[in-house]
Amino acid sequence: MAAASDSTVTPAPPRARPAEVDTSCRWPVLGLLGLALAWLLVAGVLAVLASIKLHGPGFLAEWPWLTYGRVQPAAGHAFVFGFASQIGLGIALWLIARLGGTWLTGGVGLLLVGGFWNLGVALGVFGILLGGGTGFESLEFPRYVPPILMTAYVCLAAWGLIAFGRRRPGDLYVSQWYLLAALFAFPWLYASATLLTVYSPLRGVLQVAAQAWFAHNLATLWLGFLGLGSLFYFLPKLTGRPVPSRSLAVFGFWSLAIFGPLGGLQRYVGGPFPAWMSSLSVVASVLNLFGVVAVALNLYPVVRAAPRLPGEAAMPALRFARLAYYAYLLGAGLSSLSALGFLRRTTQFTLFTPGLDHLWLDGFFALAMLGAAYYVVPKLTGRDWPSPGLTRLHFYCQVVGVGLFFVAYAAGGLVHGTTMNDPALPFFYVIKRYLPFAATGTLANLILLVGYGALAAHVAWLITRWCRDVCAPLARELLEPTATAQEVKA
Amino acid sequence: MNQGPLVFLGVFAAVIASWLGLVIVPHLQFGQQDMVVLEETGESYPGGRSGLALQGAEVYREQGCYYCHTQQVRPAGEGPDLKRRWGVRRTVARDYLRDQPVLLGQMRLGPDLANLGARETNRTTLLLKLYNARVLIPNSLMPRYPYLFETRKLPPGATPSGDALPLVGPFAPPPGFEVVPGPDALALVAYLESLRAEARFYEVFPTPPPKADTNQVQDALSPTNGPPTNAVPATNATVTP
Repeated sequence: MAAASDSTVTPAPPRARPAEVDTSCRWPVLGLLGLALAWLLVAGVLAVLASIKLHGPGFLAEWPWLTYGRVQPAAGHAFVFGFASQIGLGIALWLIARLGGTWLTGGVGLLLVGGFWNLGVALGVFGILLGGGTGFESLEFPRYVPPILMTAYVCLAAWGLIAFGRRRPGDLYVSQWYLLAALFAFPWLYASATLLTVYSPLRGVLQVAAQAWFAHNLATLWLGFLGLGSLFYFLPKLTGRPVPSRSLAVFGFWSLAIFGPLGGLQRYVGGPFPAWMSSLSVVASVLNLFGVVAVALNLYPVVRAAPRLPGEAAMPALRFARLAYYAYLLGAGLSSLSALGFLRRTTQFTLFTPGLDHLWLDGFFALAMLGAAYYVVPKLTGRDWPSPGLTRLHFYCQVVGVGLFFVAYAAGGLVHGTTMNDPALPFFYVIKRYLPFAATGTLANLILLVGYGALAAHVAWLITRWCRDVCAPLARELLEPTATAQEVKA
Repeated sequence: MNQGPLVFLGVFAAVIASWLGLVIVPHLQFGQQDMVVLEETGESYPGGRSGLALQGAEVYREQGCYYCHTQQVRPAGEGPDLKRRWGVRRTVARDYLRDQPVLLGQMRLGPDLANLGARETNRTTLLLKLYNARVLIPNSLMPRYPYLFETRKLPPGATPSGDALPLVGPFAPPPGFEVVPGPDALALVAYLESLRAEARFYEVFPTPPPKADTNQVQDALSPTNGPPTNAVPATNATVTP
């Protein structure tokens, strides 16, 4: 990579024919995507509950397992570990096989391991609802869950690495760097952070430093890199326009990989840490902008290019991917800016932060991955999406939901912070001022849930059709056996 | 060229570097921190919590209180915390030595609680806030925790017990009933009462104002110096741990 010339790069044609790649990926990837979709619905419902409880404290207040302090982390963990990590793994496995021109082995074994991952997530989400959260944001799963998740993850990632090892020779494509980095980073991040907070906790606030480091890297190095890997594949693929500069891509990748992981403590500026720790994170956040700008410049001509085929203008994958690109720019840019004093002094500890997280997870990451899924699922099933209308409904719900949530929480965060910073205003006045923005978040979450529902209905429709086409002839054959040779003779 | 190992090693190095920088080096720097003996009282700080308060810390964690309340006071210049009287000084790493897990929180939908025990000394107020914060603050957004309390029937003719919450008006239980705190509510209140980060020790002492004669010497040496009172901000000056 280091010696790469400034030549243009495109995904090269695969060695295994695409159809063969798709056949080998069919069951494992469809399984992971289906389970991810189920978790997306669960997370959506929990997020609606949590946001209602945020402004209506009397809502379902009688049940301890539905109190805000449990529903909120349960929704977040269901989203990150149930939906995001799983759809990310599914798409990553497909991309690795496709870009390497090789077959994904594992088949049913992969499905079983995927099931094991889901068992872990389910136990973890129930554990949080039952009050078993560990007390560390993003690491709330009770102590019996991480071993399950790690075991399942190592097996899942191993299949990906086996496929990666059998790729065709030659330079790696940009997406492959990002995916490989994400696959390697997650187990280190998760294992070391869990170890240092839950199993063998560090002393005092050092636990919080480990948690902040993990939470930041979970969003950037794991989910962020999976999302970028997907964008670097699908945007050039769907527009037919190659990524302009390989050198710039190398620069962007290493900037993000080196400066990104040092963030996290910018959210605790002024907290009980030595000042150098949060300063290091602030500096890293700013340096991270180099990588963001490199990615932005490199993908900009691709995003602006017309679709490769005229029919693809309406292709959902491209629409989702383009929007994911803009959400990435906004999210990454604001994340760096909000580490700086002028914005941080107003936004620290306010609604602004969850607004930004939402833009990153539900905007950038979910848009990139759902767009990829809209492209991959028809390839795997051999059936097109039955209803462009439902796709459009999902797309607009997702865009309006994320946009509304982000605008409401970002504006609400500024109001929240400004009023809180005025010591003359009593705290109930602060609450009164941010309340309408928090309530708008509920509306946004409901819109998002409608979108997820449309997606689920669409998938159900696709599967029904597929079953009718594939299973019905099989069933007919079984029920009406064709005449055997003897019978024909007779 | 096979770039797989390059990506693998590069990312490994980047993750390890950040882990060393943000977790391990701080651990080497102040992971061995220990209690400090306060000069005025001779007690070691932070002192341990009572058994009931430790149970309350578990309730605090189980209910996810830290999703709306922080327990950290930022220094002057980083926020209004001191002006809002959420503390008399900033919080430092030593304040949390005995906490497991440390529940700093990073969201202030409600006020900071680092010194709640110092500013809210009325146990009934805390219990009422937990039962239904709107009893005290109309339009409060704090969740209700009725399941930490017990609504029990009074024997005929009996008066409510001493533990019963003084609920009136729309919040009052039906006639013949009383609301008393359950064990978890009492533990949680004991924990909240134990929240104090106001002890002074060398890390958090305000920088002492310079002695007058020293200043005079300095003034004599450098006439551009301001008046001694402005030379060093006497309050809330911070020393990082």
